[in-house]
Amino acid sequence: MMKVQGKSSLSARARYTAAAVCALTLLGGAPAAQAADPLQPDPELEAVTLSAPKPSWVFVERGFVVPGNTIYDTDTGKMLGQVETSHLSDLSLDPAGKVYYVAESIWSKGSRGTRQDMITVYDAATLKLKSEIVMPGRILIGGRKFNFVIGEAGKTAYVYNLDPASSVNVIDLVKGKFVKKIELPGCASLMPVDGVGFSALCSDGSLATVKTAGAKPEIVRSAPFFSATNDPIFDNFGFNGPKQEAVFLTYTGQVYTAKLGATPTISEPFSIQAAAGVTPADTKPLDVYWYPGARQGLALHSASGLAYVLMHTGEYWTHKEPGTEIWVLDVAAKKVTKRIPLEEPAATIAVTQEAAPKLVLGIEDGTLLILDAKTGAEKFKLEKSAGGVLRTLEP
Amino acid sequence: MKTFNPDAMGEKLLRRLAGGTSRRGILSRLGLALVAAPAFPLLPVSRASAAKPDRSPEAKTNFARNAQSTDDTKCTYWRYCAIDGSLCSCCGGALNRCPPGAEHSPVSWVGTCINPDDGRAYLIAYRDCCGKTYCNKCDCDGTDRETQLYVPQLNNDVIWCFGTTSMEYHCSTAVLVGTA
Repeated sequence: MMKVQGKSSLSARARYTAAAVCALTLLGGAPAAQAADPLQPDPELEAVTLSAPKPSWVFVERGFVVPGNTIYDTDTGKMLGQVETSHLSDLSLDPAGKVYYVAESIWSKGSRGTRQDMITVYDAATLKLKSEIVMPGRILIGGRKFNFVIGEAGKTAYVYNLDPASSVNVIDLVKGKFVKKIELPGCASLMPVDGVGFSALCSDGSLATVKTAGAKPEIVRSAPFFSATNDPIFDNFGFNGPKQEAVFLTYTGQVYTAKLGATPTISEPFSIQAAAGVTPADTKPLDVYWYPGARQGLALHSASGLAYVLMHTGEYWTHKEPGTEIWVLDVAAKKVTKRIPLEEPAATIAVTQEAAPKLVLGIEDGTLLILDAKTGAEKFKLEKSAGGVLRTLEP
Repeated sequence: MKTFNPDAMGEKLLRRLAGGTSRRGILSRLGLALVAAPAFPLLPVSRASAAKPDRSPEAKTNFARNAQSTDDTKCTYWRYCAIDGSLCSCCGGALNRCPPGAEHSPVSWVGTCINPDDGRAYLIAYRDCCGKTYCNKCDCDGTDRETQLYVPQLNNDVIWCFGTTSMEYHCSTAVLVGTA
């Protein structure tokens, strides 16, 4: 009985469809018997799902006023999906590839009402909301890679806050809980340091290392090694998580490497221009040199130790200028091994961590370029696809 | 050039702030931000050159050499040497006033810009106007002496809508604080 009733109710829609098809056939008046069968209506389908993130993928912030992070596969040039990231949020990738984390701030009434700061967790396969981890606050700024970082093999997150005092939220990602807030005066741009906590660059030209385990966090600063106001280090620097190393680049083109840890060591600097065989730059007005620059101007390929740097010519204090060339810097050898000229200047650069890596460039007009990193040959040119920061998977 | 003096900047800004806001929360957090200030080293460059400000064309940045003082709806207007965002003067406001319905942030980042008329360097407070969505007109990005996030008071990318009822960024003003 139940079965019959079910069948009869199911067929209501089918009967309606059949009647409509009959009516159409009659109206047509054509020899219906000879026509091919009509197309069947599409069945109800679930949304497409994604595989775990791949090293060939790039995550592209859509821009300052446009929410969302678009996922592209640099192997195919195809868009795969979009992670929901609200205005001025920060995306971070789970090393296990199971979820996507978004540090974001939203208000109960759109742009007003009660402010809510959280890490929003999305399932990596469905891109659907999984959970929210409430936290006290976070900085609002666009275009930065190091305000929301993940350490301890995906177990701990650090979120930078400026209100306008400077602090860091420590989040336990396994328990999905905010743990504590650490005041961090005068420092920002976070690097996770496994077994210790995190390091940050400071306005006195030092590198601060914060041990987070104790009841009272311990902050140790290195000796100052750069001038934060006269020749600052770009806060979108190169970071190699697995090797716990950073490559710092200053406005004039000085390159430092740092081995992170409880007691970090920082190398003597060298000039990227000297490494390319051209005149090193200075800070004087009127002097025109090659300078590093752009909004995200350095991409580090961890396995090879090659840094891809956006360079332009101009005077000092042109550090946001997009790059007209990519300089391929072998950091360990202190040698620029290749210069790749660009047809259109680029504002952002990332490199996939594949054995045969690809470069991803954001052009100011919104074009996303995908190049073979070895040859500089263009693989894909995607219009209306670039915007803010580019992110790739760590090796 | 006497371009960098974070101490003097801090003092001038604090004086302005003291007369301009009564928000306890923002003051306590700002107090914390300023407590950190004495730990910052005094920059040799500011100390060494403070005695003899060099206003010659050779000492001016590209922006300062090309700056003008007649049209504050253009990015080349002299006070905009370190501004970033939409000019409030293009959005219904003025050089130093918010458009209707927007709210001045009590705190700001700063720049030191040279007035082409008298050759002097002035401290400019870039106070964001907040509480309305992005104006997106006359977008400028002056980068003279603009630094990175770990020196937030000299970084022009931060949304400086602190202590306002909404943190939504609308546009930026350039308020003259005094001689640098």
